[in-house]
Amino acid sequence: MLKYILRSFATLAFSALVGSIAVFVLLRQLGGDIVTVLLGRMAAPIDVSYMRERIGLDKPLVVQYLNWLKGVVTGDLGESYGMGYDIFDEIRRRLGPTLLLTVGGLIVSVPLSLVIGTYSAINAKKVRSGILDVFTQVGMAVPAFWAGLMFVLVFAVRLGWLPTGGYVPFSEDPVQALKSAILPICALSLGVTSVFTRYVRTAMIDVMNEDFMRSAMARGRTRRSAALVHGVRNASIPLVTVAALQFGQLIAGAVVVENVFVLPGIGRLMVTATLGREVIVVQSLALVIMMIILILNFIVDIAYGFLDPRIRDKESANA
Amino acid sequence: MPDTTSSATTAATTTTGRLSLRKRLRRLPITLYVGGTLVSLFVLVALVSFLWTPYPPNTLNLFNRLAPPGTPGFIFGTDRAGRDVVTELMLGARNSLYVSVVSTIVAMFLGSLIGLSIAGSKSVLRGSLTRFVDVGIALPGILTALVLASKLGPGNTTATLAIITWQVPVAARVTIGPARQILALDYVEAAYGYGRSKAYVLRRHVLPNISPLLIVLGSVMFAAAILIEAALAFLGVGVQPPTSSWGRFLNETQSLLEAAPYLMFFPGVAIVLTALGFNLLGDGLRTVLDPQQARSGLA
Repeated sequence: MLKYILRSFATLAFSALVGSIAVFVLLRQLGGDIVTVLLGRMAAPIDVSYMRERIGLDKPLVVQYLNWLKGVVTGDLGESYGMGYDIFDEIRRRLGPTLLLTVGGLIVSVPLSLVIGTYSAINAKKVRSGILDVFTQVGMAVPAFWAGLMFVLVFAVRLGWLPTGGYVPFSEDPVQALKSAILPICALSLGVTSVFTRYVRTAMIDVMNEDFMRSAMARGRTRRSAALVHGVRNASIPLVTVAALQFGQLIAGAVVVENVFVLPGIGRLMVTATLGREVIVVQSLALVIMMIILILNFIVDIAYGFLDPRIRDKESANA
Repeated sequence: MPDTTSSATTAATTTTGRLSLRKRLRRLPITLYVGGTLVSLFVLVALVSFLWTPYPPNTLNLFNRLAPPGTPGFIFGTDRAGRDVVTELMLGARNSLYVSVVSTIVAMFLGSLIGLSIAGSKSVLRGSLTRFVDVGIALPGILTALVLASKLGPGNTTATLAIITWQVPVAARVTIGPARQILALDYVEAAYGYGRSKAYVLRRHVLPNISPLLIVLGSVMFAAAILIEAALAFLGVGVQPPTSSWGRFLNETQSLLEAAPYLMFFPGVAIVLTALGFNLLGDGLRTVLDPQQARSGLA
């Protein structure tokens, strides 16, 4: 087991290293000089050289990279050139809304897809299951931002039940906070729930054909209760991996949804910084998002090893 | 396993060989028909837009601004600048087609190449490379696009590059598993015995055997590319004016949600139908080309 954890951790560390170098080199080498991007082509040479010094571009590339990493750890990433905010503080402040959205999305979509997917698998050959299949196909094809816009149109503009956007912290007004979170979370969950449901359905149908299900039914369980008691647990193992893999997609969705609902999250910051060509901000944000995804995958890897000994054994057998 | 597949398909062709064409067509899954129709419609609209649109691109009908759907001459209405929505949708289809074709073809080529090389490499190397590909999949395409756009500036090229960097690991990952299965077969061993090189085996034996899988994957990746392109254009990071795009049209009309909701409705429906079409087509193709995978395969 220890060997397995070490291996997963090595993957995490290595990916983080390669990823951070990739982001760094990409942003430094691609498409011209950062200062020119910030100040424009017509900038006076003295401004350019001052700016280079201020951002630390006059130092060798390796030193720049190490300084940046040091900044990530110590919380000193400098200031935004265009807006003047402290980059580290701003990222920390904006994590809240994004985590609310993504974790909220998972909390909604995982149980929902387990229920729908199981129901669909139990009724696999009936019309009901076919109708659900159509729904999930459409759900996967609806872009999160368009779902958000349509929800706003119906529930906020027409019916006036919920706010059109904006973010209210829980500490200020819990009811209002909940109300303003409903539409964004629904918009974000639509696609993910559809994907999860399809996984659960397939996994469940596979599990239904297992020998132990037949034994359970031979012992007197009905098809349905066998599915609920033995099936769901076995079918949810693949869901854990898929959920972790889809977390990246959830964050991507959050970036878009935050822009529809004007939520002050990481995604909105990233888009504003991108359009303002604030390379330094984007670089740090990309690293933060990447680390969240990598650490989550690491945790799932470990959890998976605990839950399912077969995987550990397979890993060591392969080595 | 592919041994049984090939014998099963030969058995199937001998039985279907006696059936009439109509019966054979009826055996094809309905998803293939629905998906195929939607995709053909999309491609047709995009191609026709090169020859004909109701109004020339970027015509501003200043006397017919914000005309509601059903106005004579403007079936789907006009936007704030008086541009015909049908024209804009047709031009948007063209842009979606362009971005998704370029990104999917490049990503499929690079991805399957990388996947085949990883599948054929030594086991120590293969393990870590596979892990690395997994990490690549976990990183969302929109993130890459934003990183690229902050330096390169927004635009179609940025969007296409971002979609490619996200799709390459996906294609590679899907290739690795089946390629390894085929590499373990007896006739591959026999080919080595002939003195064939690994590159030859990968090209002549593995690639043709996994190509049905790649075709299915390509269809699903088209859908993903269209969705990402729309999202990027919506965020303002994708295609720039005056090129039309469904996502950009939604972005521009977002502020008119109350006044003219129909402007948001039609482009969204276009995106949904196109993405749905490619997904269904992929599903249908999977059932036809790869029956075993279709039973246990996941989206």
